[in-house]
Parts: sequence; C-alpha cells; structure tokens
Amino acid sequence: MNKQTQLAEIHHSGKPYIIYKSNKGFDLYTNFSKKIILNNKNVTNFLNKKYKNKQKNTDLFIGFFGYELLNNLINIKIPHQKNINFPKGIFYKPEKKIKISHKLTYKSEDIFKKSKFKININKNAYARIFNKFKKKIKGGETYQIKICTKYKIKSKINPLDFFSRLSQTNLAPEAFMIRDKNYSIISCSPENLISKKGTYISTKPIAGTVKKTKNLNKIKALKYFKKNIKETKEHNMIVDMERNDLSRICKVGSVKLIKQKIVEEYKDLFHYVSLIKGKLKKNTKNIDIIKAMMPGGSVIGCPKINTLNLLNNQEKENRNIYTGSFGYIKFNGDMRFNIIIRSILNFKNISEISVASGVVVDSNARNEFNENYIKAKALIDLYK
Amino acid sequence: MIYVIDHKDSFTHNVVHQFSLFDNVECDDFSKINKSKLQKASTIVFSPGPGSPRDYPLSSKIYKKLKGKKRIIGICLGFQQILFCEGANITEQNKIYHGFQSKVIVNKLSKLFKPGNEFKVGRYHSLKLKEPFKAKNFDITMRCAISGAAMSFENNIDKIYGFQFHPESFLTINGKLLIKKILSA
Repeated sequence: MNKQTQLAEIHHSGKPYIIYKSNKGFDLYTNFSKKIILNNKNVTNFLNKKYKNKQKNTDLFIGFFGYELLNNLINIKIPHQKNINFPKGIFYKPEKKIKISHKLTYKSEDIFKKSKFKININKNAYARIFNKFKKKIKGGETYQIKICTKYKIKSKINPLDFFSRLSQTNLAPEAFMIRDKNYSIISCSPENLISKKGTYISTKPIAGTVKKTKNLNKIKALKYFKKNIKETKEHNMIVDMERNDLSRICKVGSVKLIKQKIVEEYKDLFHYVSLIKGKLKKNTKNIDIIKAMMPGGSVIGCPKINTLNLLNNQEKENRNIYTGSFGYIKFNGDMRFNIIIRSILNFKNISEISVASGVVVDSNARNEFNENYIKAKALIDLYK
Repeated sequence: MIYVIDHKDSFTHNVVHQFSLFDNVECDDFSKINKSKLQKASTIVFSPGPGSPRDYPLSSKIYKKLKGKKRIIGICLGFQQILFCEGANITEQNKIYHGFQSKVIVNKLSKLFKPGNEFKVGRYHSLKLKEPFKAKNFDITMRCAISGAAMSFENNIDKIYGFQFHPESFLTINGKLLIKKILSA
C-alpha cells in the first residue's frame, strides 16, 4: 500500500498516532500499547524505569513533557493560574513505526469554518509587562526574559490536514504532530534541545529571529545578525547558558561549541543558531539530563531559575505544552527532544498558539510584540 | 579542593568546568553550604548570579570568616560580593552589558598580569563598583577599555581575586590562563 494512503487510512480509523520529522522525511508511530499520563508523582518513576531492548524500532516511548511538569521537576512551583486542565505530560509506547520518505500530501475534504483569533495580552498590556521586566534587568535580577503571548481560536480542525499544509510551507527539523482522541498538537518546532546517542549529547539553541523580505537572503541575514548588537548579545547569553546546562552532566573539558552563530532559513523568517556538544559523565541518568536541560533555556531567559520564577509570577495562564519538550526515549537510553514552540494545541475544539520573544536591556516593546506575531504567523495562516 | 558557592546562576557550571581543569571542585547552592567542605577547601569561589550582594548575606558571612585564611575568588556577582564586604558601593550602571564582548586593559597595579595588556572578555553585569573605592591591600587591576569600569581586582597579601567579567564565557579569550595564574599566585 502507498504510504500516503496508509497514513490517510490510519487517520480516518480514528486511532491515535504521532508523526515526527526524521532526517529524510517523517516517522509515523501508532498502535499504542501503553499511554502514560504524567504527573509530579509518576514522572520520576517513568524516567527511571528500565525496559528490555527487543531490537525493534518501536523500543521507545514517545510523547511530551508540559512546561509545568518540567518546572516541578526542578522544584519550581507555579502559582495558581487559569488552567484548561490539559495533562501535564503524556507518553505512548508504539507497536508500529512507518517511515514516510516524501512530502505529506493529505488534504481534507471538509469545509473549514473560520472564526477569529483572540490574543490574551494586547499591545498596551505587553508594554507594561515589558517595562516591568526591563527594571528587573537593570537591577540584575534577570539578564534576559521571554514574555509569552497566547492566541486562541474556537474551531474544529483536521490535524493531519493542518500538519500536511504546514510541512509543505514550513518544513522544520523538529516538526511533529500528535492526534489523540480528545486533543491534537501540530508543530513546526525548529529547535532541538537534546540529541543523545550513547554517551554523547548535543543541543542546538536558537536565539535571534529576523523576518524574511524580498531583499533579505541568507547571507544578508547573517550580516544583519552579526551587526545587530542586541541579537548578538541575546545569542551569546544563550550559548553560555546551554554550555552551562551541558556542563552539569558532561565530562570536564568535553563541552564544545561546534557551530557558532549560523543562519537557518524558514518560510517567514531566519533564525540565528549554534550547536553545542558534550560527552556525558559516567552513570548520568536520563532524569539528570532532563533536569539539567529542561525547560530549554533559549525560550525562558537567563539565569534560568530566577527568570522562571519571575515569569511564573507574571503569567496568568498555564503554558500547557508551550516551552515544554516533545520527543522520544529509546529503551537503550538514547533520546531526542525538541522545545515545543511554533505549535498549536487543540483541546476540546479550542486551539491555542503561544509565542514569546526576549526582553533584554536594549529591546523595544513594539518590536518584540511584532516579533511574536511573526513567529505565530505561519500557524495562524493555517486557519485561513 | 576548590569549593564553588553557587548563587543559582546559569553560568556556574561553566565556572566549575574551568576550575576543574586545575583541581578537584565541589559546588553547592549558597543556601546549602557544607561546613566540612568549606573547611577542607583551599580555595573558595563566589559564583556569578542574579541580583546584588545585599541579597546574599550568607555569602558575605563566609567571606568575612575566611578572609586571609583561604584563597578567595569572586566572579561577576562574586566580584561585587567581595568588594561589598570591603565596604564598596555597588550601583546600577547606565549602560548594561549582558552577553557583551568588550576589551579590558591591565593597569600598573597588577602583580599577576602584564600592565598594558589588552584582551577580549565576556560580560554579564547590570551593576558595577562605584568609585572612588579604597580598601586595604585591594587594587583595581583591570578596567574596561572604553568606560574605565573596574573589571578585576587583586589582593595579593590575602590572596583574594575577582573578575567583573566572566573568564569561563566563550566570549573571553584565554580565560583559562587567567584562572591558572590566580590559582598559582
């Protein structure tokens, strides 16, 4: 059977499945034999439990950690927030994996009912928060902090149709989708947080975004980033922070900056990216790695702990999946995790898209507010 | 053994890795300091961190107790912490340096580094030392090439050293060498 037809068939059967971008195309995981809904009590057990390697390509758990769970794992409490009671994390054990080596071509026949997006923080409210955080930077309480805004829309969506269209226009290296009975996630995340193979680990932080225009190609984008002191400083900070997080779990002298400040191209924007690698200390457990690296620093700010506390006290709504991590843990201990950004969470027929941009001392509220919109645009366009 | 006192910073483990090139390093949160490690250590390092020295009375207490007895090193907030304990005023600066690479110059007062030497360093500080500042045996030995802000001090009598910039940052050229010198001074 053709893989696209097979995919459409799985989709129409109504059973849960996951698609994750692979090197050559996509991997589809389905026939889940286990579904583990994570909470503060069972997460440690889940991460420490050892499973027998059966030499199958489905010897893994695939799923996500939400933002709140990752905070709680490093002993950061989140004050009471508006909450849609979406699970804090879910992992699945697949029994079937299908490799899809070409583009996704699925198209929904249904007519899509349009409605309008609502944003949870308007320009003025954003500016107020922005100025408050700028004062905190002046006092040294944080060096960089990311303000999150959320777009919401009520609509019934066909996640596969959305994901296919998104991956045609905006193929991101960490793209994924989850379709389960009562929710779906569609993501074009560009950012890898953890790639662990054997005793080696790497992370690929993104810091720096510029809107694509007719006159701005990749080479010019690099020039723009290099000249732009604000983007450069923001990026430097993230590089040192990720070096730090890797240093917690890696051997002395092994943490190295492999790629320094390169440009990656996407549909609507360019990103400024680095790659850092290290060799794990002996007997490092996966839970230690997750606690050291998550939530990913580039989407939080710096220093991590104080900045998380500042953010959590400011934000009135639960971030749910946003700035959590999606990926898999293989039975042999290897892992791949992204940072959940550029994502749609559709739960009970309400979609939410969260975005954030950084306040550093010389950023300006209007620019950052607009940067948030640029980041959300590729996703918002799917609803047209 | 070197004992790093962590002020919950996201750069502390870069510091740990850099010092680990020269000796065994232990690192604990400033609020969970282990007395026997503190006793065993030959060198105490006050890490970078958010906020101002006023926020860390426990670290000030350790400094005052161990001054003259052990080698003490401060980085960024740690630099300010030591100077604050020596009576300095730590203030906000107009221009803030976070993730900024800038040039520093060694001056004549330095006994460890060659006066006139210039090199590139990574900076992450909102606050700075307010000058004039005077304390017995303390000399400001490096300054920002542009603003003149204090970037390092030496107290070679009591073996106390500090950097306002981050020797462990990838933005600092030859940071390892700086650490080697103050550890062997």
